[in-house]
Amino acid sequence: MTDSPTPSNAKPQLAARGVHKTYRMGDADLHVLRGVDMSVRAGEWLAVLGASGSGKSTLLHLLGGLDRPEKGDVEFEGQPVFGKPWGELERYRSLRVGFVFQFYHLLPELSALENVLISAMVPSGVFGWGKVKKDARERATALLQRLGLGERFKHRPTRLSGGERQRVAIARALINRPAVLLADEPTGNPDAETGRQIIDVFRELHRGGQTIVMVTHDRTVAAAADRRLVLEAGRVKE
Amino acid sequence: MYKLLLIFKYLRRKLAPLFAALAVTLCTAMVIIVISVMGGFLEMMKGAAKRLTGDVIIRADLTGFPDYKPMIEGLRKLPDVEAATPLLRSFALAKMAERVSPVEVLGIEPAGLEAVTGFRDTLHWSAKDVLDDLQSRMPPMDTLSAAQKARYEAAVKRIGEADFREYAMKLKPPSHWGDLPGAVPGIAVPPGARRDSKGNYSFNNSSVSTKITLTLMPLTRRGDVRGEPEYADFFVVNEFKSGLYDIDANRVYVPLEVLQAKLHMEAHAERDPETDKPTGKTISGRVTEVMIRAKPGADLHAVRESVEKYVQEFLMQRHEFPLIAVETWQERHGTFLGAVEKEKGLLTVLFGIVSIVAVAMIAVIFYMIVLEKTRDIGVLRALGASRAGIMSIFLGYGLAIGIVGAAMGLGLAASIVWNINEIQDKLFEWFGFKMWDPSIYYFDKIPSRLDHTEVTVIAILAVVSSVVGSAIPAFLAGRLDPVEALRYE
Repeated sequence: MTDSPTPSNAKPQLAARGVHKTYRMGDADLHVLRGVDMSVRAGEWLAVLGASGSGKSTLLHLLGGLDRPEKGDVEFEGQPVFGKPWGELERYRSLRVGFVFQFYHLLPELSALENVLISAMVPSGVFGWGKVKKDARERATALLQRLGLGERFKHRPTRLSGGERQRVAIARALINRPAVLLADEPTGNPDAETGRQIIDVFRELHRGGQTIVMVTHDRTVAAAADRRLVLEAGRVKE
Repeated sequence: MYKLLLIFKYLRRKLAPLFAALAVTLCTAMVIIVISVMGGFLEMMKGAAKRLTGDVIIRADLTGFPDYKPMIEGLRKLPDVEAATPLLRSFALAKMAERVSPVEVLGIEPAGLEAVTGFRDTLHWSAKDVLDDLQSRMPPMDTLSAAQKARYEAAVKRIGEADFREYAMKLKPPSHWGDLPGAVPGIAVPPGARRDSKGNYSFNNSSVSTKITLTLMPLTRRGDVRGEPEYADFFVVNEFKSGLYDIDANRVYVPLEVLQAKLHMEAHAERDPETDKPTGKTISGRVTEVMIRAKPGADLHAVRESVEKYVQEFLMQRHEFPLIAVETWQERHGTFLGAVEKEKGLLTVLFGIVSIVAVAMIAVIFYMIVLEKTRDIGVLRALGASRAGIMSIFLGYGLAIGIVGAAMGLGLAASIVWNINEIQDKLFEWFGFKMWDPSIYYFDKIPSRLDHTEVTVIAILAVVSSVVGSAIPAFLAGRLDPVEALRYE
């Protein structure tokens, strides 16, 4: 395990190349990322560490195609993520990466199973859904069972505990078999025991070859990752 | 697919769409009810107007035109003409129960008028009405003396044998009333005529069997007043109720030949102006109008044209050139019906404008929903949903609410329109509130009818309004920045 911005011994699966990001806060510009270079290899588990406001979540949003950098680029398997034809960015977010948020962000009207399935519905369209529905349903069921939610399919998020909600969110992120799992403080909200359970889930996913980029401020949690990258004031700390 | 799932879930789970649908429901119902009542009102007016005029009318001024009998014979042979009847119109002072009022007098042939306009259906009183009225005013039978009972039973028997409609159809009273011709005034002509709170007239206040004296003013053929007025007495044999108050309060039907004689417009032997001896020729009687009933399904404008052509040729052959107009019943009552039609259009537009409130309400409700769902929108964008996809969720949501609201509005409107008089009766029973007072309005019942085309157009407009109302919030939802949406508190 190394604590370096870029691994040297393999072709990166996902990389940020000199990305800058500035937010307008009232009259002032907040320069959140100031030329960040980083990459993650296929099958690698990378933890991005940093204090609050260091730009960790912003970096994750750029890597996931949710936000655009003012300068620099994000590359997935050697290809730039931005500047592609209409609809490609949405396909990237839907099929290449999967998001797990600190506050789960499950849709309250949907059951646990529907929250997972909706992620498969988004890229399939009305007519395509009929073809993939059976397969998606089986996969969602298997994922939820694997994450210990076999009895909670029909429960809506309000009836699930924090840990259960986060596991549903992980299943939702994994349903489309994304190349990279992007997790923003996945253990930030549940209690310590639940946090440990979530890390165990990540560990298992990692063993299965899943590439993971995990943002956390907790060094203990980060210790589970293959590699750690520290952000400080919008830069990678050397 | 996710859009349909979310639309379905949002429809089922939230109170806000219920209010939005309710706004659409109420506006749809409101416009449909207004248009149905106004449409029913217009339809009743049209029905009454048609009943009074027939399908096509040939009309001259008050000096009239001659040779109407051969003209009618010829008219009856026209392919689209089913029946035709002459009519003599004049004005008079009517004296009833020592009260005098101006009236329009129409000399008619009752059987002919029945064939053209359904005269019999407008005759108001039957023996049953009279008996019902008598019974409603009688004290309990056990309080009557034997003599009173006998008188009552005799009266019931006598009335039971009386057929007021038959008297009116002959314009001739029963012989025991006296030797006078019969007249049929409008039900609101007699001075004592008034309606009760249910809009009904009482036979007790009617003028049937009383005498009516008309003071008529005969005219020369040039239209000048011809000497002294003429007086004519009649027995009222029935009263008519056409559905148009102005007509029912001002018109009296009398036998055509009696009116012709009183106005000096009857057929008579020609006399030499110098010697004053009969020339052996007969001068035809005159009438002012001929009413025509077209065959069922005939195009009235085509009938009018063929009648006009026939009448012109007929008059040319006889070297007669009176000023005659040939009109359809719609043209005859065009100003009056046009005004009601305009009122209907105006009310529909006004209520349509009020319905814009529904669009604004939907816009506000949807904006609140978008705010509430901001984080969900961020999540969906993170899952790969496009801006257009997010927009279409809310547009589809608006469409669904529009369809649900319009369907509920249609149901509500139909149930109100179909039961509007029963609802009014209940409101009156519970709160003493009467929205349609038959003692003010001329129709006893609130008129209404659902027109399929109008209802369909209103329902479609309601759905479109709902989609329009949801468009701006949907656009804003689509434009939301996914990162900001995810951070939204």
